[in-house]
Amino acid sequence: MTGGRQGGRCGGRWAVAACWLGLIAAAAAAADLDDIRARGELVWGADQEGGGPHVYVDPENPTRLAGFEVDLAAMLATELGVTARFQQGQWDRLPLLLGRAADCVINGIESTPERARDWRCSRPYFAYALQLVARRDSPLDSPEALAKEGPRGPWRVGVLTGSAAETEMRRRTDFAVEVVGYDGTVDCLEQLRGRVLDAALMDDCIASFNADRFGELRGIGRPFAGGTYTILTAPDTPRLSAAIDEALGRLITDGRLKALYDRWDLAGRQQMLLLRDAAEVPPARRGSLADLIRGALPLLLRSAGMTIFLSVASFPLAILIGLAVAVGRLHGPAWLRPFLAGYVEILRGTPLMLQLYALFFLLPKVGLALPALVAAILGLAMNYSAYESEIYRAGLKAVPAGQFEAALALGMTKWQSLRHVLVPQAVRIVMPPVTSDFIALFKDTSVCSAITVIELTKRYSVLALSTGRIAELAIVTALLYLAMSWPLSLLSRWFERRLERRSERSQA
Amino acid sequence: MIEVDSLAAVRAGNRILEAVTLAVAEGTVTTLVGPSGGGKSTLLRCLNGLETFAAGQVMIAGHTLIAGDHPPRALERVRRDVGMVFQGFNLFPHLSAIDNVTLAPRIVHGMPPSEARSRGLELLDRVGLSRFADARPATLSGGQQQRVAIARSLAMEPRVMLFDEPTSALDPQMSAEVLDVIVELARGGQTMVVVTHDHGFARRAATQVVELVAGRVHRAGPPAEILTAGGR
Ligand SMILES: Nc1ncnc2c1ncn2[C@@H]1O[C@H](COP(=O)(O)OP(=O)(O)OP(=O)(O)O)[C@@H](O)[C@H]1O
Ligand SMILES: [Mg+2]
Repeated sequence: MTGGRQGGRCGGRWAVAACWLGLIAAAAAAADLDDIRARGELVWGADQEGGGPHVYVDPENPTRLAGFEVDLAAMLATELGVTARFQQGQWDRLPLLLGRAADCVINGIESTPERARDWRCSRPYFAYALQLVARRDSPLDSPEALAKEGPRGPWRVGVLTGSAAETEMRRRTDFAVEVVGYDGTVDCLEQLRGRVLDAALMDDCIASFNADRFGELRGIGRPFAGGTYTILTAPDTPRLSAAIDEALGRLITDGRLKALYDRWDLAGRQQMLLLRDAAEVPPARRGSLADLIRGALPLLLRSAGMTIFLSVASFPLAILIGLAVAVGRLHGPAWLRPFLAGYVEILRGTPLMLQLYALFFLLPKVGLALPALVAAILGLAMNYSAYESEIYRAGLKAVPAGQFEAALALGMTKWQSLRHVLVPQAVRIVMPPVTSDFIALFKDTSVCSAITVIELTKRYSVLALSTGRIAELAIVTALLYLAMSWPLSLLSRWFERRLERRSERSQA
Repeated sequence: MIEVDSLAAVRAGNRILEAVTLAVAEGTVTTLVGPSGGGKSTLLRCLNGLETFAAGQVMIAGHTLIAGDHPPRALERVRRDVGMVFQGFNLFPHLSAIDNVTLAPRIVHGMPPSEARSRGLELLDRVGLSRFADARPATLSGGQQQRVAIARSLAMEPRVMLFDEPTSALDPQMSAEVLDVIVELARGGQTMVVVTHDHGFARRAATQVVELVAGRVHRAGPPAEILTAGGR
C-alpha cells in the first residue's frame, strides 16, 4: 500500500472543496471598473466545453474560440475601453470565478431569482426557450407526451447540469421522466444518439446549432418555458455591472446586438421582443441557515445513499476480479499472464475519470449502451480490481512456500490448494490494506458525477451553486462523508490489531 | 513398494543426486542418513514428485515416475498414495487441528464431513491429541503440531509415508513424543522412509539404513552394519 497513491486519488475533490473554502475566506475585494480600466483587460468567464453557439472551440482552427458570446464579450470590452480576455471554467461553477479569475461571466447564464440574489445580474441580452430533442424514430411527438411513460418506463431526458432545462424538468412533476445531468451538450446529444437517453431538453439556440452535426435527431414540438440570459458580476462591483448594463443598452439601441444575432442566425421573434423591452430581474432575499439545511439535508442524505450504494456494489466486485487476476498472474497458464499484467497496468496507469468516460461514452458507439449506474459500478470495480490484484499478489506471495507443498503433498490439485489453503491465508494477510482501499474507493465514487450519476459531491456542488451557500453546505457535506468513512477506518484498524495479535501468538 | 533406479538430479548446474538405486519393501522402515547437503531431502521429494529428476526412474506404491516433467494429474495420483511430513510441520494455520486433518479427504476424496470428522478424531486420538481437535496450530507446541501433521498425512491412508527430519526442529522431550508416534506406525506395518540424524531412532525402528554422501549411495544395509558406535 503506497500512501502516495491514496493521497493522489482521493484528495482531488476534497482539495477542491478546501480551496473553495479557503478562497472564499481570503477573497479580496473584486476588481471594479477602475481596476479593469487600469489593467486594460476585461476577463470574462465561460466554458468552451459548454458548446455552441455560445462559446466553442472553432473546429477549423482549434486554437481559436468562436461563438456569439465571444463576439459579444469583445464588443462589451470595446465599449468599456479595454480588450477582452477569456477565462475557462466548468459551466456549473462559473460564478465561482467572479472576483478571483474573472470580472464577469458571459455564458448563457439564465436569469433566475437565486442568481439575482447572490450575484449581480446584468439586463437581459438574449432570449431563449427550451427545446425538446429526440431521435427521428422516437415515438415522442410533443413535450406533453412526456406525461405518459414511454415503452421502456419513464423517459430518460438529458439536460445540462445546473441549466434552466434541468430546473424545468425537475420541476415538472407531471412528467414521467428520469432526468440525467451532463456537463456538456455534446456528451448529452451523443448519448441521445446512442439510445442511452430518450430525449434531451436544451436552449433552442443550442438545439439548432447542433442540428447539422446530429442529423439523426430532431426538435420535438415547439420551444417552451423560455427566459433570458444575463451577465454575472461579483456583488461588490456595482460600477462594473452598471457599466455593462449601459454598454448593453447602447448595443441594443444602435442595432449592433441585432446585427450580431443576425450574423449568428439567432434573431428569432423572441429575440426581437427582448431587444425592444428588456426587463429587469427582481432581486430575491437570502434565506436563513436553518431553512437552507432543512431544504438541503434530505437531498444530501439521499445522495449519500447513492455514494454508499456505489461503494458497496463495486468493491466486492473489485475484490473478486482482483483476486482472480492475482491468482491468474501467479498460477495461471503462461499465455494468460501478459494479458493480466496489461489489464493491471492499463487500469492503474490511466485516470479513473477517463475509464468511466470510456465505459459510458465510448461503448455506446460500438452498440453497447450501459446505464450510467452500471457503467459507474463497473468502472469503479475494474479500476480498483487492478489495485486489489496487486495487493492479493503480494498477499499470496507472503504465504510460505511450505503451505503450497504441504497441500500438494496431500494429493490436492493446484486449484484445490489455492482455493482451500493459499487464498484463505492471503485474504487474512491483506485485510488491512484492502479495508483502507475501501475507504479510498468510497471517496472516489465522487468521480462518477462525470457520467451523470448524482452522488454526494455532485449534489453538493449543484446545491451550492443554486443556493450560493457554498461554505455552509461544504461543511454539512464534509460531515456526512466523515460520518460514513469514520466507521470504516475503525473497522480497518480493528482488522490490523487482530492480525497483529494473531502473528504475535503464532510466533510465541 | 519403492524401487529407485539410477536416479540423477541436477539443480542449478550441480549434480545433486547421481545413480541412486535403492529398494524399500512393503511394511519396512528405511532411514536416510548422511552429511548435510548429501541430497536426502532432494531424494525424498523426488519420491512424491514434488521435485523432478534428470535421469532414472522411481516406482512407488504402484506408480512409475520417469525423468522430466509429469502431467499434474499423474502427480496428484502418486501423492494420494504417498504421504509426506515436513521438518517445519507446515500445518495450515487458518484451520483447526481437526480441519487440517479432514481437509484433504473431504476435497480430494469427497468424503462426507461427518465421516471425515469421526475418522479425523480417531487419527488425532492415535497421535494423542483428541483433546486439541479444535485448537489452532499456533496454540500448539511444536511436538503437538508435528503429530497433527502426521495425522493429517495418515488421513489420506497413504501406502508409503515420507518423513523429512520430522524432529530436528524440536527439543528432545517433544522429539520423543513424535518419534514414539512414528515407531508405533512402523509397528503397525506402515511402509516409511525417514530422513533423520537420529541414529537411536534408526537403530530402534529401521529395517534398512541408506547413507547418502554427495548425492551417491555411500552405504546401505541393516542398521547394525551401517551405524557404527559413536553415532548419535
Ligand atoms: N533448487 C536448488 N537449487 C540449487 N541447489 C539446490 C537446490 N535444491 C538443493 N540444492 C542443493 O543440493 C544439495 C542437497 O540438498 P538437500 O536439501 O537434498 O540435502 P540434505 O541432505 O537434505 O541436507 P540437510 O541435511 O542439510 O537437509 C545441497 O547442496 C543444496 O544446496
Ligand atoms: Mg534436508
